[in-house]
Order: sequence, then structure tokens, then C-alpha cells
Amino acid sequence: MIATRHGLLLIAPLALVLTGFFLVPVLMLLPTSFGETVPGAGLAPGVWTLENYALIITDDYYREVIWRTLGLGFFVTVACLLLGYPLAYLIARGPERWRVPLILLVIFPMMLNLVVRSFGWIALLANRGLVNNLLIELGLIATPLKLMFNLTGLMIGLTHIYLPFMVLMLVAAIRNVPRDVEAAAATLGSSRAHVFAAVTLPLSAPGILAGSILVFVLTISALVTPRMLGGPTYKVMATLIYDEYMQLLDWPRGSALSFALTLMAVGIIWLSSRLTRRWAGMA
Amino acid sequence: MSADTDGRPGPGVTLTAFAVIVFLQVPVVVVILAAFSTTSYLTIPPQGLTLAWFGKVLSDPAYLSAIRMSLILACGSTVISLVLGVAAAFALFRKAVPGSEAITSFLMAPLVLPAVVIGVALLQYFSLTGLRGGLFGLLMAHVVITVPYIVRSALASLSGLDLAVEEAARVLGASGFAAFRLVTLPLIAPGLVAGALFAFITSLDNVPVTIFLITGSQTTLPVLIFTSVEMGIDPSVAAVSTLLIVATGIVLLLAERRFGFHRFV
Amino acid sequence: MSALSFERLGKSYGDADVVRDISLTIGEGEFVSLLGPSGCGKTTILRMVAGLVEPSRGRILIGADDVTRLPPNKRGLGLVFQSYALFPHLTVYENVAFGLRRRKVSGAELDTRVKEALAMVRLATFGERYPRQLSGGQQQRVAIARALAPHPRVLLFDEPLSNLDAQLRDEMQIELKRLQRGLGVTTLFVTHDQGEALSLSDRVGVMAKGVMQQFATPEEIYHRPATGFVASFIGKPNRLQGTVADRSGGGGSVSLGGGVSLAAASLDQPQGARVNVVIRQEAIRLHRGGADPGALPGTIALRSFSGARVQYVVRLAEGVELVAETSSHGPDAALAVGTPVSLAIDAEAVFAMPADGAGQ
Repeated sequence: MIATRHGLLLIAPLALVLTGFFLVPVLMLLPTSFGETVPGAGLAPGVWTLENYALIITDDYYREVIWRTLGLGFFVTVACLLLGYPLAYLIARGPERWRVPLILLVIFPMMLNLVVRSFGWIALLANRGLVNNLLIELGLIATPLKLMFNLTGLMIGLTHIYLPFMVLMLVAAIRNVPRDVEAAAATLGSSRAHVFAAVTLPLSAPGILAGSILVFVLTISALVTPRMLGGPTYKVMATLIYDEYMQLLDWPRGSALSFALTLMAVGIIWLSSRLTRRWAGMA
Repeated sequence: MSADTDGRPGPGVTLTAFAVIVFLQVPVVVVILAAFSTTSYLTIPPQGLTLAWFGKVLSDPAYLSAIRMSLILACGSTVISLVLGVAAAFALFRKAVPGSEAITSFLMAPLVLPAVVIGVALLQYFSLTGLRGGLFGLLMAHVVITVPYIVRSALASLSGLDLAVEEAARVLGASGFAAFRLVTLPLIAPGLVAGALFAFITSLDNVPVTIFLITGSQTTLPVLIFTSVEMGIDPSVAAVSTLLIVATGIVLLLAERRFGFHRFV
Repeated sequence: MSALSFERLGKSYGDADVVRDISLTIGEGEFVSLLGPSGCGKTTILRMVAGLVEPSRGRILIGADDVTRLPPNKRGLGLVFQSYALFPHLTVYENVAFGLRRRKVSGAELDTRVKEALAMVRLATFGERYPRQLSGGQQQRVAIARALAPHPRVLLFDEPLSNLDAQLRDEMQIELKRLQRGLGVTTLFVTHDQGEALSLSDRVGVMAKGVMQQFATPEEIYHRPATGFVASFIGKPNRLQGTVADRSGGGGSVSLGGGVSLAAASLDQPQGARVNVVIRQEAIRLHRGGADPGALPGTIALRSFSGARVQYVVRLAEGVELVAETSSHGPDAALAVGTPVSLAIDAEAVFAMPADGAGQ
């Protein structure tokens, strides 16, 4: 047993660091988001306005970016699910001796520097990149395909970046599906496809949900990959925030956008934890 | 339609899976190829091979100082996170204070918030408190984003321990701290090392927080690559990326060989 | 001066009283067992003595020292856990040396004492192995050596043998007793196995629901149980329902229905009260044939052979049956179903407990 005062001593340093360098800074964004910038002079003193938030809903450009971000989140999540499930299934249920090498091959790109991976995609997808060069050389196309600075490029890049996360969560979920339940279904007459659809898939659903939430939230929060593959003009919310702060120096606008993004991320997570609690009751 | 119902993956699944594995490695291979290419655009097969870019990178003071800064931040924040995080995780696991669950959620919160939001929040905060441009501020920022991994792996490792072992140490004469040092710590060490590896890489990798906080000539490696790419592709970017790839690969293999890293992912 | 004593020791979690007002003294070199079903509080008492649980009330004294508020590492005790709790990352040698190192013993003295402890449990050559390379019985012995090496004032055992298979358990019981006798170390042993408690201990404390039912020598516990619970926990009890037929003095008689009634030497309940009657199988003397005066007539309904003993289910009346046993070497070892027999039961062996089930 640990005495309470010892416990406090052990937790306090970390709690203080997080309060001082995380909680307080984030909370301090709130007043900023209600402020207004005077061009060239910084924050206008004593101004209190809701315009920054209102603009998020009313301004066409902002709305477009937000929808684009959410849509990207959705498509990347679905792509990661479709691509990731077979791989996860192979790792979880395939030959024993393949498991560790396969997991390492999944972890390796995940541990690699994000910038490096995104750079790799640039080298592949650019107009003078590998894919286009190959296709032109093979005579399949005459002019380069536009694979960057648009939704396609971002989708491919982001799917690649977050696929390992999905795979690892799915592996855990599939391994939790009891094999004897599947065997029972088979003895009752289910074909392989039916066993999968009626038993494996539903029972791995919590893992599917967890992986999907993770990939969705990571995707809508992404900065580096969208910036590198989308360029300075094709923006998502994170790159928009980046520009508001670094190029336009409009901190109030940027803070309002930051809170909007945070609310989306936290809201999704909270919703999903309500869902899993309901499902856990049914399981 | 086969009668084979033992749940083993069929050929369709296996093929798709392997295709995905290839998909995962493609950008990595491309970067390595680009590092050796004589041209600044890529063709297959490459037009020529050279080591010139590596030489350029390793002698460029900008890259070298960026590498140094990244390593200082990564090592420093990992060590600090280990000390603070393990202590907190231990107390939280034993529910030594009321509201342990809430506190744990708070400690994990930096994982939930979008990194860019943390970045801009700290930008504003550092500007107001004069920490902008200082190593201390950067270090603390990296501690914030790395410590959740440590706390999570410490809690996971602690939950796998038999409490009786620690009690045995106490009855045999060990003080609370001695029991932790001699018994608990060695037993949770493998999980902690895995968490530390994640923390280290998170710090080394980080752009969304770091990019808002650096000033002047100081920068980290990923931020340098990020801004270089914005200005146009130069194979020296590929060269330094290749160095990172090789380093990561070696570390991963060592971690797997030494204590079965794949168990902790 | 006693080696270990409790004064009005108690422990509550919220409203639940897990241990209630326990006071006892254990002498130097004595082997005492705490016996009872799970949840009776015996393990809680042990953990309070070890310092792993803080008492709600009362004091614990080791020798003359009040250790109630001392942390576990300052009490000078040895504790052998049910799960052995060996340090998996240390060799057997280092496991045993752990307590000695904590006491700043080092060098040649450390080596000698570790080797001594290992020799005592007959594992002298196992020093360099790791716990995962040992069998359950061997791990158990390392745990004992580890607890003994620092020469503790009191040795505590928390159901140490319950993870072993039956034969190993019997062997370990004998080894434990020999060890304890040889060293003369005061021992407190917690178990739910009555055979174990009776055969190992100088004295046994039978507990139920946090209350000490009886604290006496094994012979007393067995032959003269003080409460209905002890009577039904020790040995093999018959449990029947009945009513108090008659009261006279401290006792009276109980009716089991069907015209069967028994004299009981001590009764708490008034005439007419419904009771649960407990009679040990071993306390019933069975004879073939005729009704001796005072004995109950009945017929054999079932016979069961279990090696050294034979059990008979004897029907005394419709719905009233008692199980009695006798030696399988004696004259009544092979009675057939239907044989008329008579059962003689001493009034002291008949216990009546309130029918609402307090005590078990």
C-alpha cells in the first residue's frame, strides 16, 4: 500500500508539467479565439467578438476546408479498413512463423519519420515522379497524371501513413475472437464466408471501431502529410491553422479553428466510447 | 466454397495481404533509390548511382546541427518522461490518490488533442512567457507529447505483475523504494524500454508541435526536411532520409532481437 | 512473554467486519494454525501480522514490541506465500540472499547462510537456477528457504500447500513439521484444510466469519468441539433438522422426526425451537443387531468402502438417516443392505444450532 502523501509526491511533478505546458496553454487559446487582429499590429486590445467562430460556419472557404477534412477522414478510414483487414487476418490467423516478420514489416514504416514517408510519396506521385515516369515510359499515358495537390494524393499518402495503426488494432481484435465459436458455427453448417460474416466480423467489431476512430481522428488532425502532398493551396484544417498562424499571423482566427478541430476530435472519441459501452452491454 | 473451415486465410486474403505489405514499403524503397540517383528526378531503372548526396549531407552544418538538436530533444525528453512518467504510473496503478482514473485520462490527453493545436497553444504561451526560442521550452513541449507513451506502457507492464512479489520483498526487509528498485523495476523494464522507444521516435519524428516553436537558426531534422521539401526536391533530402531509414531499421531489429519488441506494440 | 500475541485485533472494510475482536497469545517455538473456510478472516489476520494490511482496531505484539504501526520491512518476520512469489528475475541463490542483503549481511557470512538455508530444504545444488526452471514443489521449498534465511522471529504461512497435488502436499507437510521442530521458530500457519491443521499444529484456531470459534490443541478441537460450527467443520458431520423436544438443566433432548430422539448434553434453545443438529460420523458407534438400551435401532441403507474405513448410511426412520463409519478391519466391516443395526451416540456428541443457520 502506498500512503496518499507519497502518491501525491510521485504524481505531482508530471501533473505540474502537464498543467503548465499543456492544460494552461490550451486553455489560453480560448480568450484569443474571441479576439481580433489589427493587421500589422497584432491583437486589438479589449475586443471581444464571436466573429471567428461565426466565420467557420458561414465562410464558404472555411466550410469547404472543413468538409474536405472530414471527407478525407472518412475515406482514409474506409481505405485503411479495407486494406488492413486482410493483412491483419493473415497476421492473426496465418502461419505462426510469418507472424513476427509480418508485424515487423508493419511496424517498420510506422516508426519511420513521417516526413521521410511523405517525401517518399512526393517522389512517387509528383508530375515528374516515379509513377508518372513509369506510366509514360510504358506508353500507358501521354501526359502526367495529377496525383498530388489534390484529394487523390492526400488519400493515398494518408492511407499509407495510418494503415499500420489500423492493422495493429485489427490484429488484436481478430486474435480476441474465440476460434471455438467459429468452429461451432462451422459444425452447424456455415460455409467459410458465412462464418466470417456472421461470427468473425461482428466479434471483431469493437477493434474495428477502435481502429477506425483512431485513424479518423489522426487523419483530420494531420499536418505534415497534407502539407507536403497537398501543397500550400490545397488545405485541410491543420494546414489552415498553420497558415493562419505563420503566414497570416491571425492568431484569433487560428485559435478558433483550433478549437473547432479539437471539438471534432474529442467529440468523435466521446461518441465512440458511448457506443462501445452500449455494445459491451450487448456482447 | 471449400469445406475447409479451420479459419486459415485463403489465397485471396493472403495475396491481398502481401500486396498491402508491399504498398507499405514502397515509399521507403523509393527514398533509398532517390538517395543514390544522379538525377534529381526518379526513373526506373535509375540513370546513375552516386554517393555524392550522402557526402553533401554529412558535411552540411545545417543538417548536422539539426541532427544534434533532434537527438538532444529526443534523448532529453525521453529520459525526463521516463522518470516522471514511471513515478506517476506507479502511484496511479496502486490507486494511491483519489481520482486515479481521471488523472490517468488527463496524463493521456496529449494523445487525443490534435498535435497542431498543442503547437499553436504553446506558440502563444511561449511568446507570452518569454520561453520562445529556448531549449527548456522545447524540451518541455517534447515531454508533453512523449510522456503518454511512457505512462501507457508503464501501466500495461505493471498490470502484468504479481503483486505478491512486491509484498515478498517488503516483508523480507526492503523499504518501499528498495522493493520498487530491486523487484518491480527489473520486471517492468522490457515494457518500459518499448515505451521509451516509442517516446524517442515520437520526439525525433515530431513536426506539428516543433515547427511552431523553433526560431532563428535552430531547427530539428524533420522540420528541416519538411521546409527543404517545400522549397524543392533535392536528393540530399533523400540521402538524409535514407540515413534515418537505416538507423530506424537497425534500432527496430535490435529491439526485436533483444526483448521481442513486437509483443509490446 | 509470548512470541506473538494479538490484543482485540479487528479489521473492517466500511460496514463489513472481516475480523472481530481476536485476542490470543502464541508461545515461543509454537506452531499455531488458523483454520476456517474462505472468507473467515484468517488470511486477513496473517496479513495484518505481516504489516500488509492495517488493523482497524487492536494491537499486534511480537515479543514485547508493539509492531501494529510498523511497516512490513521492519518487523523481522518471514512470509511464505500461496503463490510462492519468488523473484523471477533472480536466481534461486539471489532469491534466498535477498532478505540477508536487506539486513546488510554480505561476503562469506551471506554465502554460508544462503547455503545453509538451501541445504535445509534439500536444494543445495539449485542455486544457479531460475524459478521458472523449477517444479511447483521446488519453488515452494525455495520460498521457505528465502523466508528462513534471515532468521525471522516469527514465520508466517499463507496456505502454502494448496497449489500442490495431494501426494506432494502430504510429503511437504511432514517436511515442514520436521523443519519447524528442528529450528524451533514460532509459526503461524493459515489453511482451510483441517487435516493439515490438525496434523501440523500445537494449537489450532478455528475461525468463521471473523470470529474465533475455538483455540485449543488438535485433540481438544476434534474430541471436544466448543461450538456447533467447530463440530460441523472438523471431521465428517451429519447434519439433520430437528426440534428441541425437552429441556432439563443445561441440556435435554432433540427430536429428529419419525419418532427418533436423542439426548443432548448442552442446548441453548428453548423447548420447541427448530434446530440444525450436528453429529460427527466418528462419534457414532455402530453395532450389528439388537437394540442396546439407549441406542437407536435402524437398518443399513447403503455401504461405502473407502480403504481404511467403511461408511454406512443407516435409516432410523422415514426420512431420518445418519452416516456412521467403522474400521474396515473390524467385525462390522461387511454388513449388507437391510441388516438391522443399532447406533450409540453420546449426549456430548450431539450439537444443536439455531435453524436460521448462524455459524456456517
